[in-house]
Amino acid sequence: MSLPKQMTRVLLVGSRGALKDTIDVMYELESAHIIDFKADEEGFSLGAPLEASSEASQKLLKLRSLEKDLDLDTIDVKGQMGVAKIEEDLAATIIELEAEITGATESKNRIQGRVNELESQKNNLQNYQSIPLDLELYRDYDSLKVFTGRVKADPAAALKAAIPQYEFFISDDGSFIATFVPKAMADEAQKVLSQFGFAEVTAPTGNGSPKEHLGKIEEELVTLKSGMEDAVKKLDNLREKHAVFVKAADEHLSIIVEKAETPLRVGTTPYTFAMDAWVPSEEMPKVEKVIAEKLGGRVHMEALEVMSRREAHGHEHEDVHEEPIPTKIVNGNTVGKFEFLTRLLSMPKYREIDPTITMMITLPLFFGLMVGDIGYGIPFIILGLIGLKKCKSDEWRIISTLLFFGGIWATIFGLFMYGEAYGLHFATQAEEMSWSSLLGVSLPSEFSIGGFDIPLGIYSKLHDVKPILYISLWIGIAHLFIGYCIGFYNKSIRFGLKHAIIERFSWLLILVGGALLLLYLVDAMIIGISVEMTDIRLIAGAVMIIVGVIMAYIGEGSGAILELPGLMGNVISYTRLAAIGMSKAGLAVAFNTIAFEVLLAHEYEIAGSNNGDMIMLILALVIFTIGHLTIFVLAVLSAGLHSLRLHYVEFFMKFYEGDGVEFKPLKVIRKYTTENNGVSE
Amino acid sequence: MAEEGLIAIGAGIAVGLTGLASAIAEKEIGAAAIGAMAENEKLFGKGMILTVIPETIVIFGMVVAIMLLIL
Repeated sequence: MSLPKQMTRVLLVGSRGALKDTIDVMYELESAHIIDFKADEEGFSLGAPLEASSEASQKLLKLRSLEKDLDLDTIDVKGQMGVAKIEEDLAATIIELEAEITGATESKNRIQGRVNELESQKNNLQNYQSIPLDLELYRDYDSLKVFTGRVKADPAAALKAAIPQYEFFISDDGSFIATFVPKAMADEAQKVLSQFGFAEVTAPTGNGSPKEHLGKIEEELVTLKSGMEDAVKKLDNLREKHAVFVKAADEHLSIIVEKAETPLRVGTTPYTFAMDAWVPSEEMPKVEKVIAEKLGGRVHMEALEVMSRREAHGHEHEDVHEEPIPTKIVNGNTVGKFEFLTRLLSMPKYREIDPTITMMITLPLFFGLMVGDIGYGIPFIILGLIGLKKCKSDEWRIISTLLFFGGIWATIFGLFMYGEAYGLHFATQAEEMSWSSLLGVSLPSEFSIGGFDIPLGIYSKLHDVKPILYISLWIGIAHLFIGYCIGFYNKSIRFGLKHAIIERFSWLLILVGGALLLLYLVDAMIIGISVEMTDIRLIAGAVMIIVGVIMAYIGEGSGAILELPGLMGNVISYTRLAAIGMSKAGLAVAFNTIAFEVLLAHEYEIAGSNNGDMIMLILALVIFTIGHLTIFVLAVLSAGLHSLRLHYVEFFMKFYEGDGVEFKPLKVIRKYTTENNGVSE
Repeated sequence: MAEEGLIAIGAGIAVGLTGLASAIAEKEIGAAAIGAMAENEKLFGKGMILTVIPETIVIFGMVVAIMLLIL
């Protein structure tokens, strides 16, 4: 458990000519978090971007549009390129690529446009196909009105009744009609047709039979499609050939632009600049040395203040008068994997403990306690290992890590505390189905190493509800106790011991007092031992609670009293450790009963008396597998999420504030490019 | 016998109603939290904390039910 790295605020001042070199040096050092200059200081104005910026931006713009044409975002580009080579080829390649890609995309778009046009013509012509008229017959009449379109029912009879003279055609499937009526009767015909759901379709232009037209269109479509394939292939080839270059050049140019725009974060006067930044205190000697060496004399660096963790009490003034100090948290490889979960909630403040390591310990522990079954624990470990090997994204890596460590705890609890696999105990207890009865062997309920008896299953999740609930309450009390202790430490370094005592020690007293009362109440009400009113636990507990409440009231005001039931709720909330274990055990028993007792007619009293036949055995195994797979998936969701929730809601609320600003030093991240020697930026 | 049945019904009501209550409370908060997350993904942590707060209701219900059954 550690505080974030201590920071020193530094000010770099130099002549404007040295600004570019200073920025380059800072990027090499990777240890300065720049404070954005606010243009409110007299005599200073924001710096202007360096010269390189505009040219690089223009090229970058072109490259990005090429990337879009090439659809590069959808594929995984692998490979790297030297910066020198990029610089050398950049101008020529962009021009070449632009010509080729634009040509290919244009022809692709043109073909696509023509295909769409033809497709719609084709759809239209198909209507006219089964009517034996040439296309020119549908237009240019002086005395006739032509109706062509779709109908919902055949209007022939109604037309006949309404109009004396007409010509009528209907398609084979009865959904399309063409009718010719004298212009004088047009209105009437329209009325009749509209009763049959007539929707007009404009007759296509052109002469000759629709069938011939369709044939021609089909032919053209075929040639167009092959042209389309060529264009797509050409684009694919271009993509394959230039993907790495385009990506690498993009990265290279982005870096140039980013560096060139750094002056926008720096205050300048006509001849000087002033750069304000945070540097981790432990890196100060290195930074000072490098600056003296590389910029010797041209830039002056001064350490303004080593930021302490202390601050004035009173939340309303917090961080108003000063820049937020960035938080740089450092964790080892294993703990570091859990950093993702801390960040998911919020970055720790500069002045508080980074809680990641507590998550790393208790998060998998709670997960394991809730699962508590060796039959799920071992697959969790394997799945976690596979995940850690194959997955790259942060989300999946943290899930895999949690599964791995959680699986280890689940196996330990499953083996020693609950003694079960897939919801079945190893040894027969209370005349229940167990692995012993199922396999017809006698598994021990404990074994001994050198005189120590090591149990294989102390509790049964479904039968020993009371002790498991009781244990989970105590786990809750212990966890919250740790939370308040961290809170005490945080408050003491931020506001001093006095504030820590009245704001956090008070709650520690209340918690311990409550725990003593719990002991007393369990004896008095649940176990039923007769207890005296002068019992030391009752008196001490009550005194501690009262003293604690008074202290908290002084420290936090009347809100503290409202929080009291909240604390009780927090402790009871930990009973979910027992409850989720129980619900999973219940499901498992249900599936096991269906599979073995019902289908296999397995009788637990007589070991090995399986009298079901082969089909029943297979059916039972199928049900067993599907059922336990379901529980397995549910276990990840419920145990994982509830474990996380216990940390975020119950535990962190006792000490964590978060809302810190991450330490982001000036730094170049290269993925597709490599820096070669002797290359100027 | 009759007493046992009543205890079982009582326990069922305790878990069932508190479960419904949690669900109703979480429904509203959850929908709002997802809405907030759609705007700003960084709100996941806060959203999750707020969403699961009413869950304590059903835990209380469960504790009551268990105490009814085992005491």
